[in-house]
This record gives sequence, C-alpha cells and structure tokens, in this order.
Amino acid sequence: MAEAHQQIYLEDKLKEVRESGRLEYRSKALPTWCPGCGYFAMAGGVPAALNSLGIAPQDTVVVSGIGCSSRFPFFVNTYGFHTLHGRVLPVATGIKVANDALTVIAVGGDGDGFAIGGGHVPHAARRNIDITYLLFDNGIYGLTKGQTSPTSAIGFRTPTSPYTNPDQPLNPLLMVLAYGATWVGQAFAGHPQQLEELIRQAIAHRGFSYLHILSPCVTFDKTDKTYDRLEQRVRSLPANHDPQDFAAAMRQAMDVETPPMGLLYVNERPTLADALDGIVVKAGGAEKRARKVAKAA
Amino acid sequence: MTRPAKETPSTDIQVAICGSAGEGTIAAGDILRSALAEAGYRIISFDTYPPEIRGFGKCIARLRVTTEQAYSLKQQSDVLIALNDEHAIPHIGEVRDFGAVIYDGHSIAKLPEGGHVSGHLRAGQLPYPVSLRELCEKATGGNRSRNIVALGFLAGVYQLPKDAFLRIITKKFGKKPGVAEQNQAAFETGYTVGEAAFRLDDVVFGAPKRDAATRDVVMINGNAATVRGAVDAGIDCFFGYPITPATSIMERLASEMPKHGKRLLQTEDEISAIAATIGAGYTGARAATATSGPGLSLMQEMLGLGVIAEVPSVVFVSQRGGPSTGMPTKTEQSDLSAAVHGGHGDAQKIVIAPTNVEGCYRCGGKAFEMAEAYQTPVVVLLDLYLSNRYETVQFGARPPFEANCSKPRAKAAPGEPYRRFALTEDFVSPRALPGEPGAMHTITGLEHNELGRPNDQGDMHERMSKKRHEKLKAALKHPDFTHCKRFGDEGRIKVGMLAWGSTFGECLEAMFKARAEGIPCAAMKVVMLSPFPVEPVSAFMDDCDVVLVPEVNYEGQFARLIQGELGRPVVSLARVPGVPLPVDEILETIRRLAASGPRDAARLVRAA
Ligand SMILES: Cc1ncc(C[n+]2csc(CCOP(=O)(O)OP(=O)(O)O)c2C)c(N)n1
Ligand code: SF4
Ligand SMILES: [Mg+2]
Repeated sequence: MAEAHQQIYLEDKLKEVRESGRLEYRSKALPTWCPGCGYFAMAGGVPAALNSLGIAPQDTVVVSGIGCSSRFPFFVNTYGFHTLHGRVLPVATGIKVANDALTVIAVGGDGDGFAIGGGHVPHAARRNIDITYLLFDNGIYGLTKGQTSPTSAIGFRTPTSPYTNPDQPLNPLLMVLAYGATWVGQAFAGHPQQLEELIRQAIAHRGFSYLHILSPCVTFDKTDKTYDRLEQRVRSLPANHDPQDFAAAMRQAMDVETPPMGLLYVNERPTLADALDGIVVKAGGAEKRARKVAKAA
Repeated sequence: MTRPAKETPSTDIQVAICGSAGEGTIAAGDILRSALAEAGYRIISFDTYPPEIRGFGKCIARLRVTTEQAYSLKQQSDVLIALNDEHAIPHIGEVRDFGAVIYDGHSIAKLPEGGHVSGHLRAGQLPYPVSLRELCEKATGGNRSRNIVALGFLAGVYQLPKDAFLRIITKKFGKKPGVAEQNQAAFETGYTVGEAAFRLDDVVFGAPKRDAATRDVVMINGNAATVRGAVDAGIDCFFGYPITPATSIMERLASEMPKHGKRLLQTEDEISAIAATIGAGYTGARAATATSGPGLSLMQEMLGLGVIAEVPSVVFVSQRGGPSTGMPTKTEQSDLSAAVHGGHGDAQKIVIAPTNVEGCYRCGGKAFEMAEAYQTPVVVLLDLYLSNRYETVQFGARPPFEANCSKPRAKAAPGEPYRRFALTEDFVSPRALPGEPGAMHTITGLEHNELGRPNDQGDMHERMSKKRHEKLKAALKHPDFTHCKRFGDEGRIKVGMLAWGSTFGECLEAMFKARAEGIPCAAMKVVMLSPFPVEPVSAFMDDCDVVLVPEVNYEGQFARLIQGELGRPVVSLARVPGVPLPVDEILETIRRLAASGPRDAARLVRAA
C-alpha cells in the first residue's frame, strides 16, 4: 500500500528551533531552514504534487546538491540522496539511467546549479533525461552565510563583495532554453499555490523539466530579492503566450526586470531512456533488456 | 648444470618491429601475435606509440613468443624488423648476439651517411637485407604493404604456420575489397623469399604446444580482459569520459553492453562519470567508470561521498606518467597514493591491482562483488603497460563471479523506522533500495546516525568512522580472490621482493634468474592494496633477510605504503623510465643486496 507523501521532521524541528529561540537555521544538531525562508514553499509543494499525481513515495527519489535548498530530501518521506555541492544532476542521471521506474526530482540552489555545477546543466538538458530540476534562486549563497552567487545583481553587497558585486548575473532561464530543456517554467516562492501546480506539471512532463523558483533568503538578503520587492516585480505570462513557441519563450525569459511566472516552454522529444533503448535495439539486446526490466519490476 | 634434452625445443623468442606511425608497425605486430597465438604459442606483447596520432613518431611492437608461461618481455630481442631506418637504428643494440635484423636492403642510396641500418649492425648479428619496397611493388602494385612483406619474410625464414597468418590477414583486411588479397600477395612474396634465405640455428621456433590446456586460449589485452570481467560479473551501467590509456575500456563496453541489454553513457567529465556511477549504485545497479590519473583526481570528492554514504561503485584507473597531463602515452605506477590515500577525510576504500592480463579479468569482475558486499567504492588500478599488453589467457567455461553479494534486509518491525546505517556485528548494514516500500530513507555526505539523519556529535562520528573502516576488514578474506601470493623459494630467503601491478611480471623474471644464479629469492605479489594484507605480507618479510620493492614511480609509493602499514624497512627500487622496469636492473639490485648481507642492506633502505 502506498503511503501518502508527508512532510517529516520539519514541523518538530521547526517547533524546537522556535521554542529554543534560536532563529539561526544552521543549529549544529538540527539543520533546518530559517523561519520565513522561501524554501518552505517546496516542503509543502513537492509532497502535494506527488500525491496528486499518485506517485508512491517509495518510487520517488529526491536528489540534491549542497546548500540550504539542498537540505530538502531530509524533510520529505521518499527515498533521498543529499550529494555534493554542484553534483545533483549527474547523480540524478545515474539513478534514472539505472532505473527508469523511479520518479527523480533534483533540487538545488543557484550556486549549486549555475556556479560549481554549471557544467552539468547543458548535458542534462540536451540529453532530455526524464527528471525534474527544481532550482531555488535566492541570488545568494545561503548555507555559507550570504556570499555573492552567479545570479546576484550588479551592485549587491555581500561579505565576499564588500565593494559590491561587479559581475553581470547569469540568466538561467535563457541558458536552459538554449541547452534544449523540454519543459521550462518559472515560479515564485511567495505564490505557493502556483508553485505547487507548476511542480506537478514539471514532474508529469516526460523529459527534462526545469523550474526556476525565485525564493527569498530572508536572513542574508534584506535589500534585493526580498518578498516585497519580488512581489512587486513578478507578473503572469501574457494570456496568449504559446508555450510551444520557442522564440516567444526566449523573449519572455529575457525579461529579468518583471519576471514572468508560469510555463514558458514545453516540447516533446525522445528522452535519454528512449535513446539508450534505441542503442540496445540496434545492438540486438532488446530481449535481454526486457527480461531484466521485467525481473526488476 | 646441463639442460635436459627435449623432443621439441621450447620456444622463447622475442620479435621487435620498429617503424614510424603510419608504416603499419603496430598492425604488423598485431597480425604476428594473433597468428602465433592462433598457432598455439603463448604470447606477451606490448607496443609503444608516439604521443601524436599521425606523423612520423616512432612505434615499436614487441612480442615474446613462448611455449612455457612467461611473465614479462625480455630485455633483448631475438629478431628486429626495421620498417624505418631512422627509428630502428637506436634499437639495433637490443638484438642479441646471433639474433637477426630484417631491413630494407635497397634504400641505402637515398639515405644520408650513417642513415642506413646496415651500417649499425654488430658483428655476430645476422643481417637480412630484403628488398621490401621492390617486392611489395611487384606483388601489389604499390608500396603500402611493405610491413606485410617483412612479416612474410619472417614467417618464411622461421617456417611459421602460413595458414594462420593468411587467416588473420583476411580477418583484419577482409572488410575493404581487394585489400585482403593485396596483403595476402605481399605476405606470400615475402614468405617465398624468406624460405630460401639462409638460417642460423640460434633462433628456432619449436612446435607450439597443442593440447587441452591451450585450446580455449584467447589473446587479449588488459583493458579487454577487464571489460570481459565486468561483463561476466553482470555490469548494468557504465559512465565514462575518454582518457588514455583507459579509453578502450569504455569503447569496448560501448559495443558490448547494449548487446546484453545494458546501458552506457558518455558523460560531460569525470566528476559526472563517478557521480552517475554512484547514483546508479544507489539504486542497486552494478555500475562502473574508467579513467586515468587526471580523472581520478577529479573523482576524489565524489569517492568520499561513496565512502560515507556507503554506496557501491567500481572505478577502473589505468595509470600513465604524471603528475598533471604528464606523459599520457607512457606507463607509470604513480597513482597508488592517490588511490589509497587520495581525497579528504578518513575515506578508506578498497583498492585492488591485478599483476597480469588474467588478473585484469578477475579483478574486473570481483570488484563488483566487493563493492556490493562492503558497500563502498572499489578502485581497480591498472597501468598503461597492463592495459595495452597482450597475453594469451585461458578462460573457464563459467564466469567465476557471484551475481548478488548484497546483505539481505530483514523485515523491520512495524512502526520501526528503517535504519539504513544500522550498526551490526560485521559493520555492514542491510541495504534497502529505492522502490522498496516501507524503507524510505535519505543518504548523505554529512555525518549521520543509523537512520541516515545528519548528526555531528563526536561520539556518533567515532562510531560511524569505525563502522566504515572495520567493515572493510572482511574484504581481506573475500572469497575466491588472491589477495597476495608468494612465489619462488621456500624457507629462508636472502632477497625477497614485494611488488604490485604490472611490475610483478618483471620481478618474477628477475627472481627466476637470481635463483638460477643460486641466490635464495622469492617474490610476493600484493593484489589487495587497501585494506592492506598486513599479516601475510608481514609473514613473508619474516622469512627475508632483505626486502626489495621495485616499482615504476619516483617516490617509492608502494615502499612507503608497506613501511606505513608495517613499520618495517624495505629497499625501494623506484624509477620512472616511462617503460616497464628492465628485468636486468632488478636482477642487478638483487645481486647487490645478496652480496651485501642484511646489515649493509639496511643502510640501502630507501637509498636505492
Ligand atoms: C566543493 C565545495 N565547495 C564549497 C562548498 C561550500 N558551500 C556549501 S553550499 C555553498 C553555496 C550554497 O549556495 P546555493 O547553491 O545558492 O544554495 P543556497 O544555500 O542558497 O540554497 C557553498 C559555497 C562545498 N560544500 N563544497
Ligand atoms: S536560504 Fe537564507 S533564509 Fe533560507 S535557510 Fe538559507 S540562510 Fe535561511
Ligand atoms: Mg542560493
């Protein structure tokens, strides 16, 4: 019998953290998020999306890198793999290649995905591996206490940019579109209902789904990507936006001043598993493969 | 001491073929060793290439052809085929007295003074000037098959089985119409001339041994044997990034695995290769990657994750000259420290190193058993010499590998959370795999408790560190695996050798020669390098007046490992010539140590 997806661990720990008056998230014994952090939206959104899709917890693997956002696997009752900083996608790739039957959700931060792990994103996207990548962009390195990230704005002041950040921020949405992702969406942690719905769609999509989630770091960013400021800037996609239109998706992705929320782009093409199965057929190993898969099921 | 007379003389002949890349040097060597293996001889063969793919760099194909088991190439060749004067001249010296040199006798006019092989032969070497170019043009209308004419000549002089050559030539060139015929004609022409040539009795190929033991013999190199082991052990997934000299492991698997319904992916780098291998290992798959030193460096952080999260994975590392990009086409054994001690934190993993091609097969399969049984990364250390060296190997009818070595999971009591890292008597925790209901858990690179939840209390870290190290001790008793093995004299030993990896073959050859000179000598190969087989190695050392450790690296990495594990002195013979250690150099060191006695030898410790 399938168990329902539930948040575990988090409620208790949060209560404890609150009661202890320790509002710093990185308590030595009890790692968890700062109250108010944008990441709480995913702790509710992912189990709800999985439940509504009827995917059993034991058939789900949540994989993450290192960062505040990457703590998520500990807070959800599925299989989980908390890996290394920047390596969530290749580990997720190995899991999915080894077992098609698993629903694989990759989670990480902006530094994890686009600084140290930036070399992996193009390849996961171009191969169209059937996993969902939830990228939590707070424009900062949360876990290490607030340094500059590749999505920090020019002029943003952090302990590693005491004279303010001079570097042009990346545009991850444009990048993943160019890399060949077949499902690209954007959400805001301040709108948890839309976030949950987009997570659901992203998981349901067959192929590489990339959901970019604007998520405030309430502890280390008091000036730029705050709830208030993001609330004022985010907008819905135009009612007539056609997610099959690649050029339209690129145009929407270019707008960083008023980021569009929703499904920017979707497209169907063969997945990595399709390609690997095709190779097995060409080599004459299809029968053996079928036997192996049947045995595993 | 006189040799007992034998009906058929036992064969032990080494042929070297020297030319530039593009002159078919390696191809000729390949045909020669394939034909002679098919004819029933035992072969050890190793080619050296220039770093560039095309161009005029020097290539040498060497093969030792024997009727009895041999363990390395010989110092001296019996026959040299010179396909290119300039490249061959420096190698004429390696041809023994009364050995033969086959070369193109007609190019002399075009070459500068001193540029022709004939001007460099020693008295006592038997010259065979052959009109390679002319014969080739007559037979084929072109000059591309000069290498095959030379092979034909060799086969003709020494009366080698012609059929085997013609079959191999057809197999090798059969795909391109006309090319096989041309090469057959070239071979025949050379053969006819060779048959008529004068022959000394010094180089004689006796009849190959044809019996039950040689029937299922395959000629195969170390990388191919490794692949065969992995496939026979049921490898499910492979992830890799090309790098010399490991690439052919991936290339071969890329064509083999899909035939068995298995999956291989070329990843974007070595970090993703090991990451995906560990991801696949987490699901219960038998997964592997292959690389060389530079890739091993990139993999270290992820290997540490494999250690602390207790996920099985197999990494084949074929070493080459280092550090950095080093000498990509030269052999070396300098990644031992990186394999055993590399990476941060207390991250002990299993490291094994085969000493010959058959060992590549066994380690190639056994690595998966060990990774699964002890839930940890297993590094299999090869090197360029072993990866590319061909040997004739006999495989059993059935793969000697277990299909499943996982510790079975007992049903958890209802309501009890699954303890992925349960502390058990043998320190191995029963493992549930994704897909199993009721055992959901998260694994992590953070220190954790039995449930897998992050925990950085000192006592927990102590307990879990102990668990991760203690569980590996069982690997020292892993069934049906040679962890280390002693060869040579029993009892009191004057000079003992401890060796690992490809160098062990040269040590054995040196040991045979030393014993023939009356020096009590023994050699132990150490296949399992981590965890270290302290007891048998220590017992061996007890028997030896002095222990010599020959290896191909500068720092004496194995000598240091032994000294660290046992706290006992050894004499290190550590050199980095880019090629296998010369047997004579090992032998000379043995002689010196035998003559100096244990007290003097102690002074030589680490000074050799
Ligand atoms: C190899 C390596 N380098 C550096 C770190 C330190 N580190 C941990 S998380 C992190 C950045 C986290 O930022 P991000 O990925 O944006 O995640 P967030 O905490 O903001 O969710 C860094 C630099 C590490 N764990 N590993
Ligand atoms: S991202 Fe910021 S707010 Fe969220 S847990 Fe980390 S430090 Fe706290
Ligand atoms: Mg961040």
